[in-house]
Amino acid sequence: MDQVRRYLAPALFIAPGMLLYLVFIVYPMLQAVAMSLFDWQVVAGAVSVFRGLDNYARALADPRVWLSLSNSGVYMLFTVPPQIALGLGVALLLKDKSPAQPFFRVLYYLPVVTSWVVVSLLFKYLFADKGLINWGLGLQVSWLSDRWTAMVAICALGVWKGIGWSMMIFLAALQGVPQALIEASKIDGAGPWMRFRTVTIPAIWPTVAFVTIMLVIGGLNVFTSVQNMTGGAPGGDTDVVLTYMYRQAFEFLDFGYGSAIAVLLTLLVFALSAIQLRFFRNETMA
Amino acid sequence: MSFTPTRRGALLSMVAGAAILIALPALADDVTLTFWGAYGNGGNSTQQDALNATLIPAFEAAHPGIKIKYVDIPYDSLLQKLTTSAAGGELPDLVRADLGWVPQFAKLGVLVPLSDTMADFKTFADATYPGSLSTNLYQGKYYGLPLDTNTRVLVTSQAALDKAGMSAPPKTFDELKAMADKLKGTDMQVFADGGLGGWNILPWIWSGGGNITDPDLTKASGYLDGPDSVAAVQMLVDLYKAGQIPNLIIGNSGATSTSDGLPSGNYATILDGPWMAGIWKDQYPDFTPIYASIPAGKGGSISVVGGEDIVLTSASKNQDAALEFIRFSQSEQFQVEMVKTGQMTVIPAYADQQTAIAPFYATFGEQLKTAKSRLAISSSSKVDSILSTELTPAFKGDVSVQDALTKAAGQIDDLLAAEK
Amino acid sequence: MRVTPAIALRLTTLAVGALVMITPFLYMVSTSFKAQQYVLKVPPQFIPDPATLANYERVLTKGNFGHFFLNSVLVAGTSTVIAVFLSAMLAYGFARYRFPAREWLFRLLLLGLMIPAMMLIIPQFILAKWLGLIDSLPGLVVFYVAGNLALNTFLLRGFFEALPAELDDAMQIDGANDWRRFLDLALPLGRPALATATIFTFLATWDEYAWALTSITTPENQTLPIAIALMQGPKGTQWGLVFAASIIAIVPVIAVFLTFQRHFVQGLTSGAVKG
Repeated sequence: MDQVRRYLAPALFIAPGMLLYLVFIVYPMLQAVAMSLFDWQVVAGAVSVFRGLDNYARALADPRVWLSLSNSGVYMLFTVPPQIALGLGVALLLKDKSPAQPFFRVLYYLPVVTSWVVVSLLFKYLFADKGLINWGLGLQVSWLSDRWTAMVAICALGVWKGIGWSMMIFLAALQGVPQALIEASKIDGAGPWMRFRTVTIPAIWPTVAFVTIMLVIGGLNVFTSVQNMTGGAPGGDTDVVLTYMYRQAFEFLDFGYGSAIAVLLTLLVFALSAIQLRFFRNETMA
Repeated sequence: MSFTPTRRGALLSMVAGAAILIALPALADDVTLTFWGAYGNGGNSTQQDALNATLIPAFEAAHPGIKIKYVDIPYDSLLQKLTTSAAGGELPDLVRADLGWVPQFAKLGVLVPLSDTMADFKTFADATYPGSLSTNLYQGKYYGLPLDTNTRVLVTSQAALDKAGMSAPPKTFDELKAMADKLKGTDMQVFADGGLGGWNILPWIWSGGGNITDPDLTKASGYLDGPDSVAAVQMLVDLYKAGQIPNLIIGNSGATSTSDGLPSGNYATILDGPWMAGIWKDQYPDFTPIYASIPAGKGGSISVVGGEDIVLTSASKNQDAALEFIRFSQSEQFQVEMVKTGQMTVIPAYADQQTAIAPFYATFGEQLKTAKSRLAISSSSKVDSILSTELTPAFKGDVSVQDALTKAAGQIDDLLAAEK
Repeated sequence: MRVTPAIALRLTTLAVGALVMITPFLYMVSTSFKAQQYVLKVPPQFIPDPATLANYERVLTKGNFGHFFLNSVLVAGTSTVIAVFLSAMLAYGFARYRFPAREWLFRLLLLGLMIPAMMLIIPQFILAKWLGLIDSLPGLVVFYVAGNLALNTFLLRGFFEALPAELDDAMQIDGANDWRRFLDLALPLGRPALATATIFTFLATWDEYAWALTSITTPENQTLPIAIALMQGPKGTQWGLVFAASIIAIVPVIAVFLTFQRHFVQGLTSGAVKG
C-alpha cells in the first residue's frame, strides 16, 4: 500500500505524456527496426523476405555509408563548438536588462525562425561561383563543386542558423544563476573571467550539457541543408548519412536498407549521448 | 494483345454495355475520383487552372455522376507521398506520374495494367509517340498512357553563333567541336549541362551510335561501355578538360545554371526542354532562343523522352470511371488545351495544331519522332545515380572514360539481372 | 544610462554580430519585393529596383493562403499548449521523484530525439490510418504533441531539478499536494524554461512539413509549409513569391517569441529562494 502511494504521484505525472509517446513514437520506432531486418516491401499486404542482419552487413561494407558518415561527422565537429561558444557569448552580452536587449534578441533569433529550405537556397546563392561570398572576398572558388569547400558552405549555414537557438537556451539558463553568488564573488575580488568560470559555468552546467548533446544529435542528423545545397553532388561526395539514407528509402524504395542505416546512426548517436551524459555528470561532481 | 477486328468490336460493345450498367446506379450516387499531380507547382497556376476550370468541368458535364477532385502535391515530395500512401493503402485513383516512376510502381503491384484492363487500350496507345508510350511498359504490360511529353533539343543564341562565326547551330558532333575551337579564348563556353544522369548523357551516347543496354534490357556491358558510347562521352570529357564545358555538369550547384548562362552569354549551347520558352520570356524578355536538333553523330540525332504518364492505381474503387477519365486525357480537347499552357501533346496527330499555337514546338515535335526513353526498369532511378557517381571521376580526370563506363555497366547489369 | 567604454564595446560587438546574422535575412526580404526577372541576379541587388508589391499581393489574394494560415495557427497553437504542459508534467515527474526504471524510461525518451524522423513516417502513417487520424487537423496535433515531448522534457527536467528543494518541502509541510506544488510552485518558477519550450515547440510545429505532407491529402486541411512548398516547381520557381510567403509565415513565430521571451527577466533572479 505504501509502495502504491509512493509511486502514484510520479506515475500520474508521467503516464499521460509517456503513453502518447509510446504509442506514436516508440511503436513506429520498433516497426522501423523490424523493417531493417527484411527486404521490406512497401505495399500493404505484400510479403517481405526476412533477411536477418543482412542489411546491416551490407551497410557496414558500403563505402558510401562510411563516406557519408564522415561528412556528417565533419559537419558535427565544425558546427557544434562554434554554436555553443557563440550562442553562450551572445547570451552573456544580452542577459542584462537594457532597452536594446529585446531588439538584439530578435535579430539573433531571426535565422532560427526562417525555413531551412529557404535559407539553404539563400546560402547556395551566397556561395555560388558568382555569389556574394566570392564577390566580397575577391575569390574565384567553386565552393559547391568540391567535397571540402562545399562542407565549408554547409557548415557556415549550420552555425549561422544555430547560434540563435543555443543563445535562447543559455539566456533562459542564465536567469537561474543566483545573483547572490555573483555578488559574493565580486566582493571576493574575482574578475569577470573568474566569475564566469567559478560561478556562471557551474550554475548553467546542466544546460551546457543539454545544448551540447542536442547539437551533437542535430549535427549528425543534418539533412535539409545538404539536400538543398548540393544534393550530395559531385557524385555523392557531399552526401551525409541522412541524404544517403533518404535516397535509398524514398527513391530506390529500399526501405530495409534505409532503415538499417537509420538504426545504425541512431545507435551511434545514442552511444555518443550516453558518453556525453556521463562526462557532464562526472565533471559536475569534480 | 491482338484481337481480330470483329472480336475487338464485339468486346468493345460488351464493355460499353457493361459501362452503362455500371453507370446507372452511379447516377444515383456520385462517384468522386481523386487525381494527384504537380500541375500547379512553382507558383504558376495556368496548368492547374486549365484543368480545374476548363477540362474537369467539361469531363464532368459529359459524364454525369463522376466528379474529379484534383490535388496538387509538391513535385519534390510526390514520390515520397506516393510511397507512403501505397504503404498505407491510401493511394488516389489516378496519378500523373513522372515517367521514370511507372515501372517502379508497377513492380510494387499498385498499378492496374491498362493493356489488360482497358479494352480499347491499343487504339489509344497506337495514337501516341512510341518513345512516350514505351515509358509505360513493364515486363510486357503497359501500366499507363502518356499524358504529356517533352524532349531535349539543342538551344543556342544568335550571340553565340556570331561569336563562333557560324551561320547555323551545330548539326553534328564535328561542328560542335569546331564551334568549341572557335570559342577558344573567349569568355563563352561551348556547351553546358546540369548533371550526368541518363537525361543528360544518353542523348550524346545514342546520337554517337552507342547504347545503354541491348534491346531486350538484359545487359549493359558491351553497350554502355562499347566503343561508340565511350567515344561520345569522351568527346564531352575532352571539351570539359579544355574548359569548354563548365563544372556545372559534375554537379557544382553554385555554377551559373544553363537557363541563366545561355541568355547571359556564358554558354553557347545547352540541351533543354520546351518549358524554358515561358521562363525565358519572363526573366529574359530580350533573349530569343534558337532551337535545333541535337547534334548528330554516327547514330543520328537522338534525344531523350521526358514527360508524365497517367496511371490508374489498384486502390481505385471506381476503375471504370477512372478509365473514362484516362480516355478523356487522350482527347483532342484535353491535349490541345494543355498545349496552350506549355505541355506538349503525346499524340502526333495534334502536332500541327501545336505548332500553330507556338511555332517553336516544331523542333521538339520533330526530335520526338526519334527520341528514345530511358531504361523502363523498376530501378531506373538507380541508373541515374550509378551514371553520375561513376562518371564524375572520369570528368575530373581520376579514371578513364572506358573504366568509368565499364564499372557503371557492371552495376547496371546487376540491376537488370535482378529485374527478371 | 551612462555609456562606459565597456558598454560601447558590448554594443558594437552585438551590432556587428547582428549584422552578420541578418544580412542573409535582409536579402530575403529584399528579394520578396522583386519581380521574377530580378531575383537572384549577379551581382546581387540589395535594394530592389524596381520594387514591387506584386508578390505579397499574389500570396494574399490568390489561392487560399489565409485558410492555410489559419490551419497552421490552430494546429501549432493547440499542439504547443498540450505538448508543453504534458512535457512539464513529465519533466516534473522525472525531476522530483525516484521510482524504478526512471532512468530507463528517460533514455527511451531520449532515443526519440535520435532516430531520424523520416524513418518513422511510414509506420506512423499506417498507425494513423488505423486510428483514423489521417487527413485531419486533430491527427496532426496528436503526432506533433508526441513528437515534441522528448526535447521539451529533456530541457525542462534540468530546470526543475535546479529548483531549490526547500520551497517544495515548505509547501509540502503547508499541506499542498503534489499537483498543487506542480501548478503553484514548479510552473511559475520554471517560467524561463517553459517560455523557451513554448517558443521552440511553436516553431517546430509551425514549420513541420514531412508529416503534414504525408498525412494531409484534402487541400482544405493543408498547412502553410505545404502551401509554400507548392510554390516551388521542378521547372522554375517564383522565388519572390516563395520569399514573400515565407516572410508572412515568420510573423506569428516572431510574435510568439516576443510574447514569451519577456518571461526571461523574471525567474529566479528575484531571490525568492533565500530565507
